[in-house]
Amino acid sequence: MSTTTRATERAEQAAPAFELRGITKRFPGVVANRDIDLTVRAGTVHAIVGENGAGKSTLMKTLYGMHKPDEGTIRINGEQVTLNSPSDAIARGVGMVHQHFMLADNLTVLENVVLGAEKLYGIGGRARKKIVELARKFGMRLDPDRLVEDLGVGDRQRVEILKVLYRGAKIIILDEPTAVLVPQEVEELFGNLRELKREGLTVLFISHKLDEVLSISDTITVIRRGTTVQDGIDPAAVNARELAQLMVGSELPVPELRESTVTDRAVLEIRNLTVRDATGRPVVDDVTLTIHAGEILGIAGVEGNGQAELVEAIMGMRAPDSGTVALDGADITGWETRRRRERGVGFIPEDRHRHGLLLESSLWENRVLGHQTRKPNVKGPWIDRAGARRDTERIVRDYDVRTPGIDVSAAALSGGNQQKLIVGREMSGEPKFLIAAHPTRGVDVGAQAAIWDHLRDARAEGLAVLLISADLDELIGMSDTLRVILRGRIVGEADPATVTPEELGSAMTGAQGAADRDREEGR
Amino acid sequence: MNRLKTSPLALTLLAALAALVFSIVITSIVLSISGFNPPSTFQAMVDYGTQPDSLVNIINKGTMYFLAAIAVAIGFRMNLFNIGVDGQYRMAAMLAAALGGAFALPPGLHQIVILLAAMAVGAAWAGIVGVLKVTRGVSEVISSIMLNFIATGIIAYLIQTDRLGYQPEGSDSIGTHPIAESGWIPGIPFPGAREGAEVYGLIVLAVIVGIAFHVVINRTRFGFDLRATGLSASAAVASGVNARRMVVTTMLISGATAGLIGMPELLGTAHSYSLQFPTGLGFLGIGIALLGRNHPVGITFAALLWAFLDESSQILDFNDIPKEIVAITQAAVLLSVVVVYEIVHRLGMRWQQQAVAAELAAGATKKAEVAS
Amino acid sequence: MRRAFKISAVTLTSAMLAFGASACGGKKVESGSGSGGGKKTVKVGLAYDIGGRGDKSFNDAAYAGLEKAKNDLNVDIKDLEAKKDEPEGDKVQRLELLAKSGYNPVVAVGYAYAGALGKVAKNYPNVKFAIVDDASIKADNVTNLVFAEEQGSFLVGAAAALKSKTGHVGFIGGVDTPLIKKFEAGYVAGVKKVKPDAKIEINYISRGTDFSGFADPAKGKTIAEGQYDKGADVVYHAAGLSGVGLFQAAAAKKKYAIGVDSDQYLTADAAAKPLIITSMIKRVDTAVFNFVKQTSDGTVKGGPETFDLKDDGVGYSTSNAAEIDPLKAKLDEFKQQIIDGKITVPSK
Repeated sequence: MSTTTRATERAEQAAPAFELRGITKRFPGVVANRDIDLTVRAGTVHAIVGENGAGKSTLMKTLYGMHKPDEGTIRINGEQVTLNSPSDAIARGVGMVHQHFMLADNLTVLENVVLGAEKLYGIGGRARKKIVELARKFGMRLDPDRLVEDLGVGDRQRVEILKVLYRGAKIIILDEPTAVLVPQEVEELFGNLRELKREGLTVLFISHKLDEVLSISDTITVIRRGTTVQDGIDPAAVNARELAQLMVGSELPVPELRESTVTDRAVLEIRNLTVRDATGRPVVDDVTLTIHAGEILGIAGVEGNGQAELVEAIMGMRAPDSGTVALDGADITGWETRRRRERGVGFIPEDRHRHGLLLESSLWENRVLGHQTRKPNVKGPWIDRAGARRDTERIVRDYDVRTPGIDVSAAALSGGNQQKLIVGREMSGEPKFLIAAHPTRGVDVGAQAAIWDHLRDARAEGLAVLLISADLDELIGMSDTLRVILRGRIVGEADPATVTPEELGSAMTGAQGAADRDREEGR
Repeated sequence: MNRLKTSPLALTLLAALAALVFSIVITSIVLSISGFNPPSTFQAMVDYGTQPDSLVNIINKGTMYFLAAIAVAIGFRMNLFNIGVDGQYRMAAMLAAALGGAFALPPGLHQIVILLAAMAVGAAWAGIVGVLKVTRGVSEVISSIMLNFIATGIIAYLIQTDRLGYQPEGSDSIGTHPIAESGWIPGIPFPGAREGAEVYGLIVLAVIVGIAFHVVINRTRFGFDLRATGLSASAAVASGVNARRMVVTTMLISGATAGLIGMPELLGTAHSYSLQFPTGLGFLGIGIALLGRNHPVGITFAALLWAFLDESSQILDFNDIPKEIVAITQAAVLLSVVVVYEIVHRLGMRWQQQAVAAELAAGATKKAEVAS
Repeated sequence: MRRAFKISAVTLTSAMLAFGASACGGKKVESGSGSGGGKKTVKVGLAYDIGGRGDKSFNDAAYAGLEKAKNDLNVDIKDLEAKKDEPEGDKVQRLELLAKSGYNPVVAVGYAYAGALGKVAKNYPNVKFAIVDDASIKADNVTNLVFAEEQGSFLVGAAAALKSKTGHVGFIGGVDTPLIKKFEAGYVAGVKKVKPDAKIEINYISRGTDFSGFADPAKGKTIAEGQYDKGADVVYHAAGLSGVGLFQAAAAKKKYAIGVDSDQYLTADAAAKPLIITSMIKRVDTAVFNFVKQTSDGTVKGGPETFDLKDDGVGYSTSNAAEIDPLKAKLDEFKQQIIDGKITVPSK
């Protein structure tokens, strides 16, 4: 990619592929979109950046016809349109690749691509020819007859892109496409995107990862609090820091630990832990870990490599098939979840809606959750409402949970505030050991900084933390020790002081060292 | 409870009222189409339903409906669908009646033994469902429905004259041996009612059950675990609730409560479990629990409304109006209440989110002011 | 908040509209209390058991008697139906409603009313009550209308034996209540009288408190087919609605069947009709009519009143002439012997 080609394309441009003027979308109580202006030139990669909750997804849904804006106009290739449904969008050559893949695992690549679009090229030879042709044209290596369940994440994403192309899309929207990818896969994806551009397609790329945005896009639009801060930024003219400041309106927090607080007192000791799934395949395979007081141990790994099962085994939500877990010297392998929690295990779950909150219950009831046998929430068999409410007020105050009161339901809070409530809750009752799974996922920058502060403070006071995160910067910055997990096994360790995200990413996919042997499935 | 709290109280009351009005409209339309005069029909129902005799019947029916709905609601609060309340209370009433009829005990003790036996049988019958669910993963809906049928069979088998059955001379009815007077619970006289029409003495027990339900659910650790499981099973497990034990315990409690459903009638007037013993109360309880939003106060009103409609339907027949009209009213109430409550719930959520958003906005301006 | 308010305002308005629109027409409705007593006419009340009018059997027969009373004796009538699974209080309430509203006499159809009637009769000593099929309630103002079902069953049992070529017949009871056992006892005696070595299949569809046997045609059919397959060529049922299943099986297997309570030849499907030799008739209509007549005459007595062959309270139907005529002479001979007391039919 050179500035000269960009200049040529700019010269060639006719009508913009997408032109949005004054788009406003209201939802009750949430920041949606307000006066969004956006111009996407045809044949370019256009990035839309903004932090979580800035309104990117709402905007994408508007573009893809998933809902109609309350105000404003949309033009596609110069023509003003009304998109009533995604099929309207598809008919106009707009396709979307969602963050979460929508593929049938038990079907082949070919079947997945054709599914729902049988009318275009049938389901036989013609469809196959078209798919092979598309894949070749855009430089995607895909075997049409492989089952999707055998594919890696990167390949699955390519199948999604192929689906969109097969339906004749000329404008492709990618919603946070790199969130699930490791750095190497990101490079491959970018290669594919460049191919698309070369063939004259337009790519709309949504992300909050600024380095990626700067490396792939031709134009950048920044949105914040639901509105465009700046449209048509030339990536050559800005750096990541400047973009970030546009995004958050202030400086970015940096995940970092200062001096080491690691002691030699082991708090959590996991010995040869193995967890098997229903089919008998080990999903956590002979894991041995020790976490000391004052230590944050980070686990790096592509999602789905046994992290969730490891967490569940430590929490007692899933029985291990072999191995032991010890807390402060006591063997807790056979203990129930509640007893573990009572002994000082805190848990910030990966999916706060599923495992961390009762969405329909009030904040103070959520304060009780997970601590329903401990003061100040209970007195004997009775719930101590006054005590729980008082302590909830404290959490709301100390952890800056933005809420009008503690009687509103948890669902009414934004993601960041929900997470702050959970962090505050899990930090109370003097935990000895904390599991922090993706503690800052989906929260705004302010909350992120606050959560990191709380982790650092607790660590200084001797808390042992198991940190799991897909954000490699966070993982490297916040860990005293790093372990890499791949297919349930601890396959390596890294020094957070020296390792780069790229190196860590390689290790996570097993592209490095001893892990190479396990690579055959990746093909 | 949570829903009540998260939406303004006035809105909830309005919702209940709207549902009632809606059902009256539907009923009026049906009546008009069938050629009857709706106002005079309703007037007749109200006149008849408020006579002292009718009120006694309404309160008595309502008492049993209430217990049935509470038994169902215990399960509902943790998303456990105990459809087997029907079989549980019939088994409990039958075996407790047989036990109570088998021998006489001093008054006081006799009743307590019968009540405890009923609770034990109900709990055991429901416990089967819980155990099947946690050990074999059998859906409680399926197993409890099946157990209803099995209960019917077992009761028919046991109530034979050569087993637990007793047949009065010259009668074709069959039942358990009548309970001696030492095991009866006298009724409470009702002002203006005919002689012999008394309110079940065990209405006191129903009130106690209602209060206990409310306190246990809302004020105890156990109740918290139960509600948490109902709101989000995965979050409850992560919080340390033992899901399996919770299922079995809840089924046992629900079943024990179900065991009490037939007791007001058994100890108050019937004194034996026979062909005439009311059946199907467990299924009514499901609808009433729904209507009452699984809340004891709501259930009280729902049970009384249901009983009123049942009772006053008698007068329709007397006026040659098909009393099935009342079934339409009942169905319309249920349906509209489900819809209206959902609307209210959403409005409440929206209201809350707006409040939170306003708070955030205010916070943001404050910050901006400080910054500038 | 405001939206919800608007919604309810709308519903209210439409409710009023509906009221207004309907206020112009439609029957006026009474509330029941104190509306009786004004006129001098005799008012007869009747309370059905579950099933009510239209069951083509028991309840319909009761209604027939009531209607006859209305036409012949010029009385007002009122019949009320029961609900499924209602508690006894409802039955009490129903009888009360009739008694209180000036209905006298009041007939309770079915033994399910026994307990309720026991309570209500005490409170209304001046109202004459009757109960069909129950002898357990004893009071001065209660007449127990009971039937000698065993006598009628004896005759159709004899008919079955006479008709059978295989010497093998069957009986299907709905539920094993004492009442139905009476049918069985009479039937067996009748069969044995004609063919002492005849084989008799006896099955009940359900037992004890499980009353599904009176309303389960599918099971009735299965059992009937089983009896035919075992070699029975005539099957008699006392199983209410389940008897429909017997007739279906008879039509399919081309074997004979015998009906019960009312003349089921008249109401059966065309395919089964010729195969229904006869039906054991139980004249509930006669019983109800007689009771009403006696109350208006002032000749009514409390206590059991049994309807038997002697007064045609029970009998057998002859509408299927082709099949029954050849047997008539023999059956009438048995009938006379029973009336004369030369044959004593067991009832258990």
